[in-house]
This record gives sequence, structure tokens and C-alpha cells, in this order.
Amino acid sequence: MMPDLASGLMEVTPEIRGHLAGCVACAGKMEEFRQTMALLDEWKAPEPSPYFDVRLQARLREEMAKPQAGWLTWFRRPVLAAALTVLLGLGVGLFFTKGGGRYGSADNVVAVIDSTEPGTAVGDLQALEKNHDLYADFDLLDDLEVQHDVVANP
Amino acid sequence: MDPGALMAAMGPHPASSFQPAVAGEEGYTDAEVMLRVKAGDESAFDYLVQKYRRPLVSFMYRMARNTAAAEDLAQEVFLRVYRSRQTYEASAKFTTWLYRIATNLAVNHARDTRHERPEVTVSLDEPDEETGTTLDVPDSKSTAEEFLVRRERMLAIRAKVEALPERQKLAVIMHKYQQMDYKQIADVLKLSESATKSLLFRAYETLREQLKEFV
Ligand SMILES: [Zn+2]
Repeated sequence: MMPDLASGLMEVTPEIRGHLAGCVACAGKMEEFRQTMALLDEWKAPEPSPYFDVRLQARLREEMAKPQAGWLTWFRRPVLAAALTVLLGLGVGLFFTKGGGRYGSADNVVAVIDSTEPGTAVGDLQALEKNHDLYADFDLLDDLEVQHDVVANP
Repeated sequence: MDPGALMAAMGPHPASSFQPAVAGEEGYTDAEVMLRVKAGDESAFDYLVQKYRRPLVSFMYRMARNTAAAEDLAQEVFLRVYRSRQTYEASAKFTTWLYRIATNLAVNHARDTRHERPEVTVSLDEPDEETGTTLDVPDSKSTAEEFLVRRERMLAIRAKVEALPERQKLAVIMHKYQQMDYKQIADVLKLSESATKSLLFRAYETLREQLKEFV
């Protein structure tokens, strides 16, 4: 393929060389590809920042602090099961209304939970706790969505 | 799994006990290393992080619209690799699996943020390759102009690659910037090798045509 030849990824065989020597059209195109490939080289990517490793470690630590049990066992916990049901309902609802398979924003979920808990101090605390659980489960749901597709072994 | 031990192994400059084999030597493929991660070998995971952090950040940088998002996405790839260690099976090349995770994340991110303005970054303190000088404080008219031309060209290259259809863009980034061969790219994109070749050829044809004015 010419872009490969032009960027030295493919060996220019004597046969190809012979053709290029006698064919103005191909030689011209080859030169254009050489220039295009050189131009593309100008787009450099940065090195990972110093924060990259620190942040990755923190996220891994968080990951390791999570329970090792499979996600099915989460359904055995009543509060979480209820929260997940709400979330799944929302997710399914949004899936069909938006057609994009995206889950609702945290704000939507908070609004739903808050409406079930009147504005008492205890209610607020309970709502907070539930919200915390919900936030924790966003990753989980994300994984469920992804598991079949992204992370599954090819 | 002992989190403490793993964190120790994940330190900034870990004294890794895991000795990866040099390519061609009798040793471990990445898939075998991943099986050791599955078996609980923390240093094996650290080895994979060290090996792929740079390629993944640069892959995500070219797929995402800003540097912070690129790092975030690259970290997410590692987290997903770690999270799915128990179900990992060495049925495919590790890099195929890794880039498939990365590709899915990148594509989802791009779709989520397609209405956002891309971050415009052209490193000001990056030394000029030809002169070895830094262009952050243009001290002469010609240097300033040179910088502006370079900047404009860089933005154009980026814009043209970004404007390619999604799969063409992915293929070009993997081929041109990740140095992956047709077979590897084909595996990640779940295409045949010939389909991948024609995808790439069309992409390079477009780029050749559209970048003409900048050569
Ligand atoms: Zn010819």
C-alpha cells in the first residue's frame, strides 16, 4: 500500500522501484503520500503527566477497597436492591425515551430519591445514604452495560 | 488479595519483582502476564501498566478532545483490565483486548462530548525540532510567524484526522500513531484484514487530498 511505502513501513522492492522510475503518475502520488505521512508526524502526543500515576494508584486503591463478591450478591442487600431497581427502571426508561442506551444523570436520580423522602432531618440523612449507595452503583451499572461488549474476551 | 501489597507494588518507582522477558526470549507474553494478574500477582499488573501507560495516553489523547480526558480514559482502561482479571482468558492477544476496551471507551467518550469545543493545545514550550529553540516567547517577527504557521498546520492535521469517519479515524490512529499492523487493527475493529486495508487507504487518500495545502 502506497502510504506504507511512503512512510517506510513497507520495503520498496526493485520491482516497485522500477515502476516508479518509469511512471510519473505513481511517482507523483508516492511523493504526495510521503509528504502527507510526514505532516501527520507533526501531531505529537504528550507524555503522561506526573499526576497520571498518582491518580491511577488512587483509583486502583479505591477499586481494591470494593467488595470482591460478584454483582449478583448485591441484589441480596435490600436497600441496594431497591436503589438498583429504581436505577434500572430509570435506565430502561431513558433507554427507550432517548433511544441511546445512556443512563440518567446523577441529578435525575437524586431528584427521584428526594421526592420519596420528605424534608426531615432523618429523611435527609436517609436520602444522603441512599444517594451515596447510588453513586457507588453507577460504576456497577456501567460495568453491567459494558461487560458483554467491552470487557468480554474477544 | 492484599491491597497493601498491591499498592506497594504500584508505587511510583516500584522495585518490581516481576521480571518480564525480553521479546524473543523464552518468557511471558502479555497474555501470560495477564494470567498471572488473574492469579493474584500484583507486580504483573504493574508491569502491564508500565508497558502500556504511554501508548494508551497517546491513543486517548488523539481520540479525546483534551489531555485531562485522555489521562482519565487511559486510567479507566487499566481499571477495567484490573476489574475483569478474574474472567480474563488468554484466548486472544492481550493488546487486541486492551485496545478493544480503549476503543470502546474512546468512542463512547467522543459521542458524549461531540458538542463540546475541542481543547486547543499546541505546546508553547516544546522545543522547535529544527532549531532546538523554544517558541514560548517569540523574540522576533519571523519566529512568531513560524510558530503561528506551525500551530495552524498542527490544528489542521488534527481537525482533518478528527473529521474522518469514526472507524477510519480509529484505524489511522492505530496504524500511524500506535504502529499497529493490519492484522492487529483488524482484530480490534473486528474487520477482515482486507477491509482494514481499504479503510486505511480511503482514510489516507482523504488526508492526502485535504492536507495538500499544508505540505
Ligand atoms: Zn504507475
